[in-house]
Parts: sequence; C-alpha cells; structure tokens
Amino acid sequence: MIGPDLADVKLLWPELILLTMSLGLILSASRIRKGLKASTATLVAGFASILVYRWPLVEGARAGFGDMIIIDNYSQFFKVLIASALILIVLLSARRVETDNVRAGEYYALLLLASIGMMLAVSSTDLIPLYLGLELTTICSYILVGTTVERRTSNEAATKYFLLSAFTSALLLYGIALIYGTTGSTSFDAVASFFSGTEGGNNKLILMAIGLVVAGLAFKIAAVPFHSWAPDAYEGASAPIAAFLATASKAAGLAVLGRICISAFSEESHLLSLILATMAALSIIVGSIIAISQTNIKRLLAYSSISHAGYALLGLLPGTAEGISATMTYVFIYVFMTLGAFGVVTALGRRGERIDGYEGLARQQPVTALLMLIFLLALTGIPPTGGFIAKFVVILSALNAGYFTLAVLAVACSVVSAFVYLRVAVLMYMKEPQMDEAPGYPIMISAVLLLSALVTVIGGILPSVLNFWEAVP
Amino acid sequence: MKEYIGVVVSFILAGGIAGAMVFLASWLGERKPSEVKLAPFECGKTPFSLPGGKLAVKFYLTAILFVLFDIELVFLYPWAVIYRTIGLTGLVEMGVFMGILIAGFVYAWDNGALEWQ
Repeated sequence: MIGPDLADVKLLWPELILLTMSLGLILSASRIRKGLKASTATLVAGFASILVYRWPLVEGARAGFGDMIIIDNYSQFFKVLIASALILIVLLSARRVETDNVRAGEYYALLLLASIGMMLAVSSTDLIPLYLGLELTTICSYILVGTTVERRTSNEAATKYFLLSAFTSALLLYGIALIYGTTGSTSFDAVASFFSGTEGGNNKLILMAIGLVVAGLAFKIAAVPFHSWAPDAYEGASAPIAAFLATASKAAGLAVLGRICISAFSEESHLLSLILATMAALSIIVGSIIAISQTNIKRLLAYSSISHAGYALLGLLPGTAEGISATMTYVFIYVFMTLGAFGVVTALGRRGERIDGYEGLARQQPVTALLMLIFLLALTGIPPTGGFIAKFVVILSALNAGYFTLAVLAVACSVVSAFVYLRVAVLMYMKEPQMDEAPGYPIMISAVLLLSALVTVIGGILPSVLNFWEAVP
Repeated sequence: MKEYIGVVVSFILAGGIAGAMVFLASWLGERKPSEVKLAPFECGKTPFSLPGGKLAVKFYLTAILFVLFDIELVFLYPWAVIYRTIGLTGLVEMGVFMGILIAGFVYAWDNGALEWQ
C-alpha cells in the first residue's frame, strides 16, 4: 500500500470540521449579507472542533499519514489553544466586520483556514507538512491584514508583511532543502537519528541548515532580529486580526519550534541553544526598550509581543521536557492576556488605538479600565496575575539550565517593561478624561474580556491548575 | 556522467534547431519592414513604458484562474500514472483535492471573475 490509509483521516476530524465550514463559507460568500450568520457558523465549527479533540488523550500518541502527522497531548494542547483563540477572535471581530464593510464570508473562511494551517503545523513530525501548514497560515494572514481595503495603513501593512514573510518562507524552505541534502530525509526522527549517528559530519552545512530553519520559524513568532514586520502589520491590521497574529500565530510558531528543538535537532542542542539564547536575549531587550517610545497602543502591544516571544524562548533553551512544559505554560497565559489587551483596544474602537485615548478611562468606563489594568499587570508579570507565574516558570527553567546572565537580563527587562505597561495604567487612573466617552461595546466583546481576565487571574491565584498537562513531544 | 549525454544532446539539438531557424529566416526570408514589424515583439502590450502605469486587475484574475487549473493538472498527471497501485484511497483523495479546487473556482465564478467588462 503506497498511499496513506483512509483510517488516518480520523486523526484530523477537528480540522476537517473547520475545513468543511470554511469551504461552505467560501461557496456561499456572495450570498452572505449579514456578518452575524457567518460568525455564528464559524463559532459553531470552532466549538465542535474543540469538542472532538478528546484532550487529554487516553490512548496515547498516534501517528498517521506516513508518520508525517502525529496526534499527541502536545499537539492537542496547542490545537485546543488555537481553536479557543479562534473563537475569541471571531467574537471580537463581529463589530469590526459590520462597520468596516469587510466581506464576512471570506473573512471568517480565511480565519478558519489560517487556524487549520496552524493545527497542521503543530502536529507535523515532518518538515514538508510543517511548511505547508505554516504557509497556509501566512497566506491567509496576508489577506486578513489587508482586509480593510479603504485604509491606506492596512494596505501598507499587508504589503510589508507579505514581502518580508515571503522572503523568510524562502529561507525556511532553503533550510529544509539543506537538511534534506545533508540527512536524506525530512522526517524529524530520521533527521535526529542522522545527527546522533554522525561525528561532526559536515558542520558548516548543518549549521546553515539549522540556522535557516530556525530563522524561518523565528519570523513567525516575531523574535528579534526577525521582528521588523510585527509593529507595522499589527498597526495596519484591525485589532482582532492583530490579536490573531499575536496569539494564535505565535503559539503555533512556538509549538513548532519546541517540537523541532526536542525531536529533530535535539542532538545539535549546543548549536541550537546558542542561536535560541541570542534570539531570546535580543528579543527581550529590544522589545522592552523600544516599547517605551510607542504612542500607538497596537505598536506598543507588538513590541510587547516581541519581548514575550523572547521570554517564551527561554523555556526552549534547556531542550528538556520541563523546559518545553514551562514554555507551554507561558504560551497559554500569554495568549489570554494578550487577547484581553487587544480586546480592550477593540472595545474602545478608534479611541483605543492611541495611547492618549486611555486618559481618564477609569472615570468613564471603570469596568473596562479595571480589566485593562489586569491585562497590563499580567503582561508586566506582577504576582496576583498569571503573567507572574508564566515568567517565573520560564526564568526558573533558564536558571536550572545554567543561563544565569540571561535570567538576570530577563528580570531586569521585566522592570523596564513595567514602565511601559504601567504608563498606560497611570493614564487611565490618574488623568482627567480628555475625550468624549467611547460608545459601549457589544456583549460578545465583554464576554471575551471577562473570559480572558478570568483565565489570567485564575492562572495567577491557582497556578497548580496550569500543570494539568504533561504533554511533551 | 554517462547518463547526462542525452541531456547534452538535447541541448545541442534544441540550440541547433532554434539557431538554424533564425539563421535561415534572415538568410532566405524576404524583407518588407513596417513600423509594427520593426517594433520589439511583446504579447499585445507596449514593450517599454515607464513603471507606474495602470494594469487592469482583470488580467490578474485570469492568471489566478489559470494557475488553479495548472496546479490541478500538475497533480492529476502523477496520480493518473500510479492510479492502479493506490486504488480507491487515491480516488477518494483526488476527489477531495478536486473538490477543494472546484470550490475555489465556483467562488471565483460566483463573484464575477469570469465576466469581462
């Protein structure tokens, strides 16, 4: 039997549900006039896929499609996370789709397809489906960033994002080609066993191949020096799409990087940890410091997401199961606190885009301001929130692996970033309102804000609930 | 290196035939120059123009539709070659693949990509 077994299709039920819904939306796109119908359909598909996941897995990991796709607790964790982020982003998008005159059918279909791409990428154990999954995600993201055609910044953002991303996709593909050239396989296991078998081998070629693959993946998580697209793309995209790029896309990138580090390149860990440590240090420093001078809140959150990518990379440095699980905790908390912050930006509409729009918000909308305060404290990493636990576990895992300087640097930059986030809090609570009261927002956005705040706070108060996964590839 | 001789031969043949055609045409051919004939050949558009001119987006849509069918053919050929070995599974998978492609085509058609106004 050459072709894959049809029984393998069962492994991808959740993705098939999402795919069917997105094809349905594409086919009926010209007849969808009300955005609400399309968003409800997408929500139903998202919830259905989460229900089908059966996570955590009882029967253990299963591989299929010629050992290219694996379903294990690690992949299921990230898939559920991506599907949850998708649902929250659909809820956030509902108002923007109506007011910005975006074609609803295409918008939600692209969101679904991008999520399917991420889900495929996190369960690949072969470089080819991994590349296909990531490409599916990025190609949909280009269009999503540019959906508000009337706005010039949106077009500019989409063009910049497309050009830079296409370039790094080529780098990733070139790295994959070099790995195939040196090892004769694209499967993670075969690559790993090749590396463990050779004494040194062709060192320069291996260095280049690993460097290119890691660079291509670092672009997806916007780690310095592959970060320059993020501020422009987030600023030009509408807030829900910026949130999608900052959360789901970054989670998928980190998941893929984690799996590659611990399986395919585990034998080259000295090389890999050097690259990752450099990227982590640069991301933390650059992200924290440049965020100080931002006046646009989406750019500020973009730089914040860059520094958070650096923190999340700390967990991947040791190349151990504990490290990966620290990164998983980090990504989990990060997704919800960032979604919450972008949710507040979405809720405030035009006013939420600029930093001075937050002046005196506490007096006008006390609940929104309080929720924003929770997310800002979490992003800083202050104790009663989940952000503290997240930072604590990754810095601890870096310390355990002997990266003392890096851990000190991470803590120091945390203090710098406190200035960035708390500046917004000071504007909200200690200034007089300068602008008219922002209009209220629909219940769907409030639901997202409350849910994100709940996860962020519970993660901080009861950190033990975050350890319910023992799901390392 | 022996197996590459065929490639070299085909290079030489291709170059020889193309060169012979150009040479024979210029040697034997009769010349009646006109303005249009002397202009560089480019499929229907002005060969040299300053960038920044507008290009109708219709061409882009047609090109995308072309790529759609092109990709379909690229995958149909190898599938047809090993059809007997992969059997029913292959048929179902190709059906899924074609279904997704056709969904894209139906979308384009439905939204007026084929109307040339």
